[in-house]
Amino acid sequence: MSRSQLDTLIHMANQIAANNAHYGDDAAERVHTHLKKFWARSMKRLIVEYLHEDGSELSPLARQAVELLAQGQAEARPTSA
Amino acid sequence: MLNYYDPKQTPAPQHFLPERDYGTPARLSETLVSLEIDGVAITVPEGTSVLRAAALADINIPKLCASDNLEAFGSCRLCAVQIEGRRGLPASCTTPVAAGMQVTTQNARLAKLRRNVMELYISDHPLDCLTCPANGDCELQDMAGAVGLREVRYGFDGDNHLDAETDDSNPYFSFDPSKCIVCSRCVRACEEVQGTFALTIEGRGFESKVAAGQSEAFMDSECVSCGACVQACPTSTLMEKSVIEQGQPEHSVVTTCAYCGVGCSFKAEMQGDRVVRMVPYKGGDANHGHSCVKGRFAFGYATHPDRLKTPMIRETIDQPWREVGWEEAIAFAAERLKAIQARYGRESIGGITSSRCTNEETYLVQKLVRAAFRNNNTDTCARVCHSPTGYGLKTTLGESAGTQTFDSVMQADVIVVIGANPTDAHPVFASQMRRRLRQGAELIVVDPRRIDLLKTPRHRGAQHLALRPGTNVAMINAMAHVVISEGLEDREFIAKRCDAAGYQAWREFILDPRHAPENVEAITGVPAEQVRRAARTYAQAPNGAIYYGLGVTEHSQGSSMVMGIANLAMATGNIGREGVGVNPLRGQNNVQGSCDMGSFPHELPGYQHVGDPAVRERFEAAWGVPIDDEPGLRIPNMFDAAVAGDFKALYVQGEDIAQSDPNTQHVEEALRSLECLIVQDIFLNETAKFAHVLLPGSSFLEKDGTFTNAERRINRVRKVMPPLAGKQDWEVTIDLANALGYPMHYDHPAQIVDEIASLTPSFTGVSYARLDALGSIQWPCNAAHPEGTPTMHVEDFPIGLGQFAITDYVASDELSNRRFPLLLTTGRILSQYNVGAQTRRTHNQAWHDEDVLELHPADAELRGVRDGDWVGITSRAGQTVLRARISDRMPPGVVYTTFHHPGSGANVITTDSSDWATNCPEYKVTAVQVEKVSQPSAWQRQFQTFDRLQLQLLRGARDEAARPPAAERANE
Repeated sequence: MSRSQLDTLIHMANQIAANNAHYGDDAAERVHTHLKKFWARSMKRLIVEYLHEDGSELSPLARQAVELLAQGQAEARPTSA
Repeated sequence: MLNYYDPKQTPAPQHFLPERDYGTPARLSETLVSLEIDGVAITVPEGTSVLRAAALADINIPKLCASDNLEAFGSCRLCAVQIEGRRGLPASCTTPVAAGMQVTTQNARLAKLRRNVMELYISDHPLDCLTCPANGDCELQDMAGAVGLREVRYGFDGDNHLDAETDDSNPYFSFDPSKCIVCSRCVRACEEVQGTFALTIEGRGFESKVAAGQSEAFMDSECVSCGACVQACPTSTLMEKSVIEQGQPEHSVVTTCAYCGVGCSFKAEMQGDRVVRMVPYKGGDANHGHSCVKGRFAFGYATHPDRLKTPMIRETIDQPWREVGWEEAIAFAAERLKAIQARYGRESIGGITSSRCTNEETYLVQKLVRAAFRNNNTDTCARVCHSPTGYGLKTTLGESAGTQTFDSVMQADVIVVIGANPTDAHPVFASQMRRRLRQGAELIVVDPRRIDLLKTPRHRGAQHLALRPGTNVAMINAMAHVVISEGLEDREFIAKRCDAAGYQAWREFILDPRHAPENVEAITGVPAEQVRRAARTYAQAPNGAIYYGLGVTEHSQGSSMVMGIANLAMATGNIGREGVGVNPLRGQNNVQGSCDMGSFPHELPGYQHVGDPAVRERFEAAWGVPIDDEPGLRIPNMFDAAVAGDFKALYVQGEDIAQSDPNTQHVEEALRSLECLIVQDIFLNETAKFAHVLLPGSSFLEKDGTFTNAERRINRVRKVMPPLAGKQDWEVTIDLANALGYPMHYDHPAQIVDEIASLTPSFTGVSYARLDALGSIQWPCNAAHPEGTPTMHVEDFPIGLGQFAITDYVASDELSNRRFPLLLTTGRILSQYNVGAQTRRTHNQAWHDEDVLELHPADAELRGVRDGDWVGITSRAGQTVLRARISDRMPPGVVYTTFHHPGSGANVITTDSSDWATNCPEYKVTAVQVEKVSQPSAWQRQFQTFDRLQLQLLRGARDEAARPPAAERANE
């Protein structure tokens, strides 16, 4: 059966993390960059919300990347409408 | 008419007209030979025939069995000439030029000989010229005229072939052997041009005749109906049925085929605005005068009664359609879109561009989304086929496109085909590949299925790595491991052209013993020795070329595999010259173009990221609106958002997501959730059954524009008939934009291309004037490459140095287990195209009128399944029922089907699993169970009911429109 939208996003983030895991110290930043470059605003919002609410199903690397995403958004917010 | 100049053909500049037949093929020698023909001095490359040399000097020697797309055969004797100092009258087609040769092509002796030859031919040929379908286009008739044949002294009563029976079995052409002169052109075309070897000359002397297969009917033989024989036939023996029915065309227009990514050039031969036949155009840079059964014959869909001709609207999808004028339909759509955005927000709507429409149309749809919808929710069907190519090649090589021309394969020593089935999906290029294979190139196929290319006639020793579906990345890593661990890498190339730190990191990664073929064997199922041998073959070849298809991209690791391929090519220095490269074989005609034109939600035209302020600034200045700096939703994300209730309206141009996208039930749920679905298509496709607005589309014959093929070649599409519904697709998008309050004004697609050129660095040199002058252009085309770029990355990469990417193998979630013990993989067949909307409405149905499930004998036996039984295929996503075909083309444990027929529900079983980087669906791996059943699946029964209802609702609209107005009815 189809997964819910959030489940899909969690799965996608974990998948991106798994495919970048080999990059070691750079891995979290690579995953973060990927999310930033390819995910729509609404998808980013949902995954960041999930991070704040629960985040338990994100793999450690995906979680780090989503944290970076959340930080970036928090920093960007005051200047952009 | 276009003048075609190809510098590759001859060392000396020599204009060559594609409409002319020069008798024998060009020779490429750099040594030039001078001779005199009828007193005219001429210099040609060594090896050129006297016949061709004469033709180049516009001296036309009569000929019948010669044609410049076939090697000389010397059987008709009509092209005999006299050569000073030589005995007899040699055939000019088989006589190569020699320095100082003096040739006479016309004198009394030659005239007598030629007349005698023709007299013999005509003594066994029906004299029904006036009623013959070839009347007006018959080389035999022309030659009888040229040699001045006036009588046949032998009479017509002797033994002859006049009663030979016609073979009408092929739906597109007939074979009338009573008119055959046994020149062997058809047999040679089948061998040399197509490479199928379906035709032979059977018998000897007077008994010799052309035979298909083992003297079977054409349809029962291995004939693939490419039309090369019909094209080659100098009489009406092999003749298009459309010409037999309609007569000879009176004018023709050169245009580009709208089927696969090869992008063949065709002459649409016309009577008024009716296409009589499509003839492959010799001046076409992609196909050089060859064709396949789809482009050559399957164009009847364009005038099929199912074509939508009137815009239609309805409030809900269970209501009958109401036929309305264009204005009302556009206003209805625009109002709905505006209302939805007002209620649910700017990001609640989006659009899907079509890989079947032109570059100009695709550009306008994404512009509509970005400038009128004011978001980046645009995507295209490349999402579900080649998006990993875009991602993977851009990351490693710096450009989202293949690196070569098709012709480059003729320089390849080793051809590696990964996850592609060229003979079925890219048939005209497959013929060229086979030509190279017959010349001795080696072939390595990496594919779970034994594809037809592996049984190329007159080629031996192909290596087949029949890997388990879903293990591509493990395989490519193993091959790279062999290259590096055995020291087969191209150190000079790597040092000069690639990023050193990236290479070092990758080198360490790939040298890890876990990538050794011996350790990967358990994953891929391919013996280590085979992998080692294949890697060595590729790495050690002077020129190794990789061609790949959807069997690479449509995986959870599609992007990793594309990067793995690029890694391997860079490591072996197989980039940046003829004969090598990384070549994605694109599925649909304009997949490359739709990607180039900014269809992806994160990229503006020319692969320029929406997050880049400098890029946005240029587009904002040209378009006069701010552009959203965040990527939009991709197709699968749109579906998820629709089901979640956040995404409410979609404009789909020329794309059938309900049939082509995976997990049909999820897609249907998403489409049902939309408050406004606008479908622009030539037929009521599966998606349109969920629509509220139907905008009739125009076929490629009804519009001007350009397509870009798999070799980045931009080709002109030319309108040959008026659009059936009155508008070309680009005009409809303009209307919609204007109705939404965003002004768009273009009078002709040429203006759209000018705008694209002004905004896209790789297209600055492209214009209709340049395209008409050059025939076609391979982008990048700009100041640095004014005539385009046949081979990419010759000096450097667009990103400077090549980037090796670390591609760890991560197994797919779609693993077989006890419940789903088999792996389903999907593919295509020659006669049908994609969702089949076009080809199912042609006689191509005669070859493939249902999708079947190919099942290995061992798996069949285990389940008690026999050939032809109905079998249910169940996955985690759903169930469907197909007929079984027992076949050992796949390894045990793997089953295979196609998705050309909507009722088959192949995508009911494919799942949400997708590529990690691009969300390209994993069509190629679905864990399934197969069992014998006696009735269609629940989905199929529901599909049939829904299909019947929607056709009724469509018919209702048409009947309603056909009725007289209410006032008149009242008087009845």
